[in-house]
Amino acid sequence: MSDDPYEILGVPKTASHDEIKKAYRKLAKALHPDLHPDDAGKKAEFQAVSAAYGLLGDPEKRKRFDAGEIDASGQERPERHYYHQYAGQDAGRRYDPGMGAQEYEDAADFFSDLFGRRSRSGGGDYREAFHTRGPDLRYNLEVDFLDAVRGAKRSVTMPNGKAIEISIPAGVHDGQTLRLRGKGGAGFGEGPPGDALVTIGVLSHPVFTRDGDDIEMELPITLDEAVLGAKVDVPTISGTVSMSVPKGASSGRRLRLKGKGIVRASGKAGDQNVRLKIVLPDRMDGELEELAKRWREHSDFEPRKELRRQT
Amino acid sequence: MSMDERSVVAEVRRVTLRELRLWVREGWVQPAQGERGPAFDEVDVARIRLLCDLRKEMALPADALPVVLTLIDRLHETRRDLRDLTKALEEQPEEVRRSVVAGFRERRGSSYRTDGGA
Repeated sequence: MSDDPYEILGVPKTASHDEIKKAYRKLAKALHPDLHPDDAGKKAEFQAVSAAYGLLGDPEKRKRFDAGEIDASGQERPERHYYHQYAGQDAGRRYDPGMGAQEYEDAADFFSDLFGRRSRSGGGDYREAFHTRGPDLRYNLEVDFLDAVRGAKRSVTMPNGKAIEISIPAGVHDGQTLRLRGKGGAGFGEGPPGDALVTIGVLSHPVFTRDGDDIEMELPITLDEAVLGAKVDVPTISGTVSMSVPKGASSGRRLRLKGKGIVRASGKAGDQNVRLKIVLPDRMDGELEELAKRWREHSDFEPRKELRRQT
Repeated sequence: MSMDERSVVAEVRRVTLRELRLWVREGWVQPAQGERGPAFDEVDVARIRLLCDLRKEMALPADALPVVLTLIDRLHETRRDLRDLTKALEEQPEEVRRSVVAGFRERRGSSYRTDGGA
């Protein structure tokens, strides 16, 4: 294919702005990718035509192109995702016109039923009257981390103005979509209502993170708790529990609180994993410094021995 | 991905906020409802770009748009149905597949002949 935008649009170099516009519209109508979803050739042609029009349809750019200031490929735009690329997937179903049954009415009942799924209604009289299932309605719901891991009930107002009650199951994932049967738009005729599709967005929590059904968190402890061991209070998603820090625990050590993670409806429960972090006070007091000095004098502990050996 | 009205207008520069709201009101674009207004995903944004092409580049009048959209939507619905049917067919035993394909070819062949002879 030629690179010359005038040739691509099939207009002379002397063409007026209106002539260029007309030529472009004619080509665009014939070549638009959404009218030829599987035709890569037509898509390429359409892109060339769009690019050519992007150049010549703009009087300022055309002037610069004619003057040789910019070349024909200078107008390349980033790869565009065309609608048909989405519409071909299941996500595209939301825009289905959904009036299928009549079209298959000369087919056997078996197939009429198969493709006319939106029109199925009681009595099977869909050939005489128009019945169709109501549209699905979508809602994006943001929930707090704790509501997502523990489960919660929320009331939301759908796009059609109706309020519905949503039960968020414990352990719902970020991006998960809940389908509430029959809570969508009203059906036509005797058609059943559509569904409500609620996509959950989970907000992050300052303390807890999640790994499957396990909850992860970092627990700050003091030096004396680490050295001597201690019983400390630990927050979990279901309230505060008491946990033993073993004697001589290092920073980074992981302790497990069994069954304190996400509890599924089935009764299966994840754990809470606690990562210890030894924290010193912001201001050192003399006593702690003295203690450290005395300890240093006789200690032969070398925590970086492994590190030296391996590097 | 989820975008509010203003991000969509910033992303698809060819559409104005007024037009976008009109298109949603007409049902040509059907975003999800969020707690702070409509929430558009990439399917909706691609569709908004298609609407811009139809309305602006091809200068399609507003009253013709629903007809064109319905045809496009029906085309995609049929393509998906066909694809699903093909997939279901692929899971059938070899002999069933062969027999269906043969029956399909025969039908298509005869309809071509009818067209050609008319």
